[in-house]
Amino acid sequence: MSGKEFFVNRYRQLGWELENAEPRQAIRINLSNAKDKPLIERLRALGVQLERVSFLETGYWVSCSKVSVGATAEYLLGLYSIQEAAAQIPATLFTTLKHKTVLDACAAPGGKTVQLADLMENTGAVVALDVKKQRLTALANHLERCHISNTVVYNLDAKQASRLNLKFHRILLDAPCSGNFAADKAWFKRRTLQDVQRNAQVQRELLAETAKCLSDEGELVYSTCSLEPEENELNMDWAVKHSNLQIEEINCYGQEGLTEVFGKRLHASVARCRRIWPGETQGFFVCKLRKQVNKK
Amino acid sequence: MKALTSFAAKLGAKLSLSTGLIVEKAGRYFLLGKNLKGLVKGDFYYAGAYLGKVKNGTFFPSFTLLAMLSLGRANKIVIDKKAAWLFICGRDVFTRGILSVSGTRRKGDYALIMSEFGECLGFGRIMCSLDAKADAATVAVKNISDVGDFLRREL
Repeated sequence: MSGKEFFVNRYRQLGWELENAEPRQAIRINLSNAKDKPLIERLRALGVQLERVSFLETGYWVSCSKVSVGATAEYLLGLYSIQEAAAQIPATLFTTLKHKTVLDACAAPGGKTVQLADLMENTGAVVALDVKKQRLTALANHLERCHISNTVVYNLDAKQASRLNLKFHRILLDAPCSGNFAADKAWFKRRTLQDVQRNAQVQRELLAETAKCLSDEGELVYSTCSLEPEENELNMDWAVKHSNLQIEEINCYGQEGLTEVFGKRLHASVARCRRIWPGETQGFFVCKLRKQVNKK
Repeated sequence: MKALTSFAAKLGAKLSLSTGLIVEKAGRYFLLGKNLKGLVKGDFYYAGAYLGKVKNGTFFPSFTLLAMLSLGRANKIVIDKKAAWLFICGRDVFTRGILSVSGTRRKGDYALIMSEFGECLGFGRIMCSLDAKADAATVAVKNISDVGDFLRREL
């Protein structure tokens, strides 16, 4: 069970016809280090034309550029980060972040970690975990470049997050996933349904473990860049039925989560999730959960 | 801690950090905020603000430390746009690219290199007296470290 036809047929059953997706390059201004208007002017002087992303506060499309936006002095000084537009959404969904203790469970290469720290204005604390030690160098470089000072990084599998003996007010679980064809041209050739199911199982383990570390009434934002419902709606359905997590309303870009998947009816609250089919952005899925007290 | 203060002194700066908030891991030094202190356990990889590392007895400052030093009194050389671009590409600073100097002007001393926007781009060593009228094409500051290093690290 693999191949382009197999997956395209699945997407059709979910109500989406495959179309050529060309995700646009986007940047995010680090407001702790720069003010938006002067920075936009500086980049314009370098030949970088920016266009505000309608659904983001600090995100901009790179409309055209005479220079590589990853090699300007402004980038090297941490005034902005290069971050895919849909990937900028999860960190913005928390109600408040300043002075909170936040877990970034699968943090490398650190785009969302830096975004969290920026939204927190370097207050509170971010604990960033990643299981792969070789990915921590990129994370550390990202933190240093953007002058982040409220983050501690551990080489730890988030499936063992409770070993930290900490409770977090906010948790970002940007789970490792199967990815999507818009971000990976060889995706249809490389992926099988078995990969998807294996990843979905890992994601459930991550959800269960990180939920243990969430304080009462704390918020957990779950995201993937997968289009497969096993890694998205079906996992959220599982979470509300098997844990004391409840899906919260969010107001962000994307379509409602699917509540019927391949003939299976899901918990009605799964509609509160957001599914983003590829287009200007890559494919993405995001959901905000809250830990309920005295339930299960 | 001595490595840090000695380095700051080389740049004509004074570093006053609470020693209780500085942690060392495998020769790398980090400055912790009070909120972070209770969360940092022995096996961390990175924490707080990275200050720099000691390798073979030499201190290599981080760009966060250089930026911190640039906020106070220190030897600073402000350079123009073209010189700034060449500097972050690893090149030395020529006399013609210098807009202003504060602190030392003496050959052999060290100075922070600043953009015209007041951002610290790195640091270098003064190669000729900046008081003397030098040829525009004379190397005035030898590049020791610049933020372009973030790109070179990933190669």
